[in-house]
Amino acid sequence: MDEFNDDEIGRLLRLKKFEQPPPGYFENFLHEFHRRQRDELLRQPLWKIAVERAQDFMLRLNVARLASYPVAAAAVLVCAAVLSLKIYQTPQAPSVAQIQSTVPVQSDWNLASQVSGVMATQPRPVFNANLSTHRKTAPPRYVLDSMPVSYESTLRF
Amino acid sequence: MDQPRTDEDQQLVARTQDGDAGAFDQLVLKYTPRLYGLVYNMTANHEDTNDLLQDIFAKAYKSIRGFRGKSSFYTWIHSIAVNMTLNFLKKRGRRFHLSLDDVDASIQNDKEFLELTATSSPVREADLSELQRRLNEAMMKLSDEHRAVVTMFHIQGMPHAEISKILNVSEGTVRSRLFYANRQLQNYLDEFRKNPVA
Repeated sequence: MDEFNDDEIGRLLRLKKFEQPPPGYFENFLHEFHRRQRDELLRQPLWKIAVERAQDFMLRLNVARLASYPVAAAAVLVCAAVLSLKIYQTPQAPSVAQIQSTVPVQSDWNLASQVSGVMATQPRPVFNANLSTHRKTAPPRYVLDSMPVSYESTLRF
Repeated sequence: MDQPRTDEDQQLVARTQDGDAGAFDQLVLKYTPRLYGLVYNMTANHEDTNDLLQDIFAKAYKSIRGFRGKSSFYTWIHSIAVNMTLNFLKKRGRRFHLSLDDVDASIQNDKEFLELTATSSPVREADLSELQRRLNEAMMKLSDEHRAVVTMFHIQGMPHAEISKILNVSEGTVRSRLFYANRQLQNYLDEFRKNPVA
């Protein structure tokens, strides 16, 4: 005999059917299964049991699609809630800074006061610390109009 | 292989889905020996088999409400068993020890065993425990997927079509895996043939 052929390999492997668990194993298996199920149930948090019961209930009502996609259903509900909040939100009035003229109106006008009056009637920007665009704590900035002396060319004709 | 009556299974499944836990107990009792053989011959370890089998039935019980009967319960529960066992074997890796069940004494009266001892000299010369060890070692040298096919076909006697449904592969794939596995087993058992009482 040279080697086992396919048929002999098959017959050899079929002998493995005779490898059997200890006597009484299959009889005890169901009891062990029930015990493990009870243990698992006791270890589960209450919310998980509630979710499973709810899923069972949904499946019994034959709304499998809804029950099998709870995440999708929840996502749709959240999206709808967010959209409705955006739609029904009343827009706030824009807060615009208003500048009030602080120049007093002069009632007694004369020639001597012409220039000063004209100058005075011109609306002059009034410094208001509240409208400052700079931070109060920021140091003042100095802008140079021209290039520094050291940058100017010394050979200018 | 004698497949369990599917109409009986369907009734038990329907009763389980209606909340009758006793019906599921009947399914457990019915399928435990069959699934034990499947998982045991893939893991070669009794304790792992016991734990896996408990997990398999627990998963089946949790999922049975979603079982719509597109396949038979037989195919469905075997698919769960094979997939969970393959996942377990991937995690277990190569570090494991054989924990083999005893060979039942009724083997001495088995027709095929008697034929093998009469015609095959290695089987005749080796004692039963040696034969068991060699067979299991050869099986464990196969890849997990090949061992699954060999277990279902040679040991459990399932037809190719049923194996292909359980594994969700084509029948051609099943046949090619079986062919390759047989060649490998021939090589591994060749040493046993040459030296049956090592």
